[in-house]
Amino acid sequence: MFTRLSDIDRLFRTMSLFQKRLDNLYSDYGKSSGYKWEFEQTSPRTNLYENGDSFEIRAEVSGFAKEDLNIKIQGNYLEISGSRESDAPEGYRTHKIEREAGSFSRSFTLPADVDSSKVEATLKDGILYLILPKHEAVKPKKISIS
Amino acid sequence: MEKTQEIAKKEEKNIEKTHGLYEAIPAVDIYENEDEILLYADMPGVVKNDISVNIDNGTLSVSGIRKLVTKGAATDTEFTDVEYARSFSVPQAIDIERVEAELKNGVLRLHLPKSEASKPRQVEIKTS
Repeated sequence: MFTRLSDIDRLFRTMSLFQKRLDNLYSDYGKSSGYKWEFEQTSPRTNLYENGDSFEIRAEVSGFAKEDLNIKIQGNYLEISGSRESDAPEGYRTHKIEREAGSFSRSFTLPADVDSSKVEATLKDGILYLILPKHEAVKPKKISIS
Repeated sequence: MEKTQEIAKKEEKNIEKTHGLYEAIPAVDIYENEDEILLYADMPGVVKNDISVNIDNGTLSVSGIRKLVTKGAATDTEFTDVEYARSFSVPQAIDIERVEAELKNGVLRLHLPKSEASKPRQVEIKTS
C-alpha cells in the first residue's frame, strides 16, 4: 500500500516538475498557471548555483529563526527541514492568514559529493544561504602539460 | 568603422534601460485588537532600505524589492529578484502618525494603531 502511495507521489512530482517548466515559459512570477497538480506544498523555494569548487543553495525561509532549521548532509545528499510556529499575537482577532505555519522537509541530490565538514550556512533577511564546497576528489583540477 | 560606432552607442543606451522586475504578491496575515491592526508580510530577501510603506487616502501600499547578488552558474532556480507589492484599504480611523514597521527574518510587521477617537468606549450609566 505504501509503495503505491509513493508511486502516486512520484507521479505528482513529475507533473509538478513539468508544470514548473511551463511556468518558466510564461513569466508570471510565483503564480501557478492553471490547475494545481501538486499537493498543497509548503516547502520553500530554492535556488542552486554552481561555482568551480562549490555549490550554493539558497532557500526562501522567511519567518524562520536559526533554531527552527535543520540541515543534514551525507555525500551528495542534502536535506533541509524546519518548522515554523504560528507567530499570531495573543489577544488579537484574525482577519486573514496566508502565511502558513508548520513544518517542511526538502531533500536534494547534488550533482557531486560535498565536503560536509566545510559547509557554511547563514541566515539573512529570511533567506538561507548554504555554501557547500565540493569534495576534494571531484574538484576541478588543473593539469599542467609536461 | 561607422557600424561599430553605432553598436557602441546602442549599448550605452541600454544601460539606462532597467530590467523589468517580476512582481509578486506577498503572503500576509492580518490581526486586529482594540488598539491596533497588525499586518505581517513575508518578504524573504528584502532589506530594510528597499521597503516602502505608503498610506495615502485610505490606501496602504507596501512594496519591497529583493536584489540578490548571484555568483556562479545558476543550475536550478525557483526564485529570482522580485518586487513584492500589495495594497490594502485601511479604515480612516488609523493614526497615520504612529504607524510603526519592523523587519525581522524577512517578515515585515506593520503596526497600525487606531486613533483614540475611534476606540470603543464604555458608556457609563449614571443612576439618578
